[in-house]
Amino acid sequence: MGVVKVYLCVYNWLLFAGWLQILVSAVKALQQSGPSGVYAAVEKPLQIWQTAALLEVFFPLVFSFLWFLVLRRIVYGIVRSPVMATLPQIGSRIYLTWGILFSFPQVQEHWLVTSLVLSWSITEVIRYSFFALKETFGYTPRFLLWLRYTTFFVMYPTGICSEAGLVFVTLPFMQLSDLYCLRMPNKLNFGFDYYYMSIVALLAYIPGSPGMYTHMIRQRKKALGSKPKAS
Amino acid sequence: MGIAEKTVRVQVLGRSGKEFIKGGVEISQDGTVADLKKAIQRQNAKYYPERQRLTLPLEPGQKRPTVLEGGKKLKDYFSNQNPQVVFKDLGPQVAYKTLFFFEYLGPLIIYPIFYFYPQIYSFFGLPTRQVTHPVQTYALYAWCFHYAKREFETFFIHRFSHATSPLANVYRNCAYYWVFGALIAYFVNHPLYTPVSKEQMYIGFAIAAVSQISNFYCHIILKNLRSPDGKGGYQIPSGFLFNYVTCANYMTEIWQWIGFNIATQTLAGYLFLGAAGYIMSVWALQKHKRLRQTFDGKEGRAKYPRRWVIMPPLL
Repeated sequence: MGVVKVYLCVYNWLLFAGWLQILVSAVKALQQSGPSGVYAAVEKPLQIWQTAALLEVFFPLVFSFLWFLVLRRIVYGIVRSPVMATLPQIGSRIYLTWGILFSFPQVQEHWLVTSLVLSWSITEVIRYSFFALKETFGYTPRFLLWLRYTTFFVMYPTGICSEAGLVFVTLPFMQLSDLYCLRMPNKLNFGFDYYYMSIVALLAYIPGSPGMYTHMIRQRKKALGSKPKAS
Repeated sequence: MGIAEKTVRVQVLGRSGKEFIKGGVEISQDGTVADLKKAIQRQNAKYYPERQRLTLPLEPGQKRPTVLEGGKKLKDYFSNQNPQVVFKDLGPQVAYKTLFFFEYLGPLIIYPIFYFYPQIYSFFGLPTRQVTHPVQTYALYAWCFHYAKREFETFFIHRFSHATSPLANVYRNCAYYWVFGALIAYFVNHPLYTPVSKEQMYIGFAIAAVSQISNFYCHIILKNLRSPDGKGGYQIPSGFLFNYVTCANYMTEIWQWIGFNIATQTLAGYLFLGAAGYIMSVWALQKHKRLRQTFDGKEGRAKYPRRWVIMPPLL
């Protein structure tokens, strides 16, 4: 399907450019004003390009729900990685971008934001350029493939620690605020406390992180093969 | 062995195609698949029969291999003298009764804790309970009766087609029942709980009670379809609501939760109803399809009558 290929091309190049912008802005801000200035420099592009990634997950989900039989075949090809592996990752990204950083300005100048933005942007620049080249030219240089499946060894731990760390330092502010909370009594006999939900989310990182890490190791074996690369 | 028995050597392959047991295993030519599994276990004690899945090697173009059924004879599957089976380890297994025992035990224990120990709520900074509404007490009875009934049925009513389930299911199923149980218990017994009107409560519990009794009767009917060792052939369920709905047991279960939720009115309860209803619908569709395929009316077989799947008039 020609339309799908063009869409994927444009999408991946666009996201690559967006994340490159984030990475460059972050490094410049780091040099000029230090870690506390990173968030202010990347806020708008981060919100745009991180939220745009929802298209990777919800586009196929929404469409395959609506046109179950017809489009499902085509749509599965749109997202390379199976939904179940990317859903928790996109979930945590959106949670951090909107639920933590946007909602609690008190933590925007924390140094963990720097490690977070750097981990995310380096990973995404590599990932999107990889897909963009693949869609445009049908081919990716071996070096990029290696980068994609090797940088995670460092980026995943730094990214995960930054995410969990930022949630943790935001907890006291959540406790003081009523943001995103639903209080009882009400007719549905339902309550929601953002503070306790975030603690549950933090606990989810404990089993979740090794799972995602080993998933990447398995993907690496499949992509690079278990034999050492012939030079 | 007095008279020399004719034996056959079965090659046992792994799923990669390589030989899984060197030299294969030797069993009587007249033997069953169950005998074959026992013979494999003699070679490696770790693989008790419930853990083994034996299939015929995949034919070209075949997507899913043919599974060898325990009761059938080797002769039913193999005509030649060089039978090959493919071995798959299903992983550590747990008896279904054990699985059900633990997954239902959680709700039985967790729910009353929230009712009898309202001090828990002060841990979340909430006020102490000022008054216990009647509906909260009735809900406790209804809930505990439901899960006690499930435990009873597990040990005295249900006849399982498979003896075991993979160990991983224990964690998954217990998480499902225990977490939902805790959530519902938390909200129904909450100090700031808002009860519904008396009329609505009575209607809800009445629906739940009738459904529970019907559900129990459905389970008795299903039990009588099978022989005690679980071996009975596949049969068309009939009698009572089964004449109209394939999975009348799931239907009555869903109605039981509808009744409970009408009486207690919590979002958590409705979410649980949604999840349980969805899961049961998936199972019901599979069972309905299997019954229609087995009882197709051809070659002297009965034809499966037109019935609702699980929830008239929706499905």
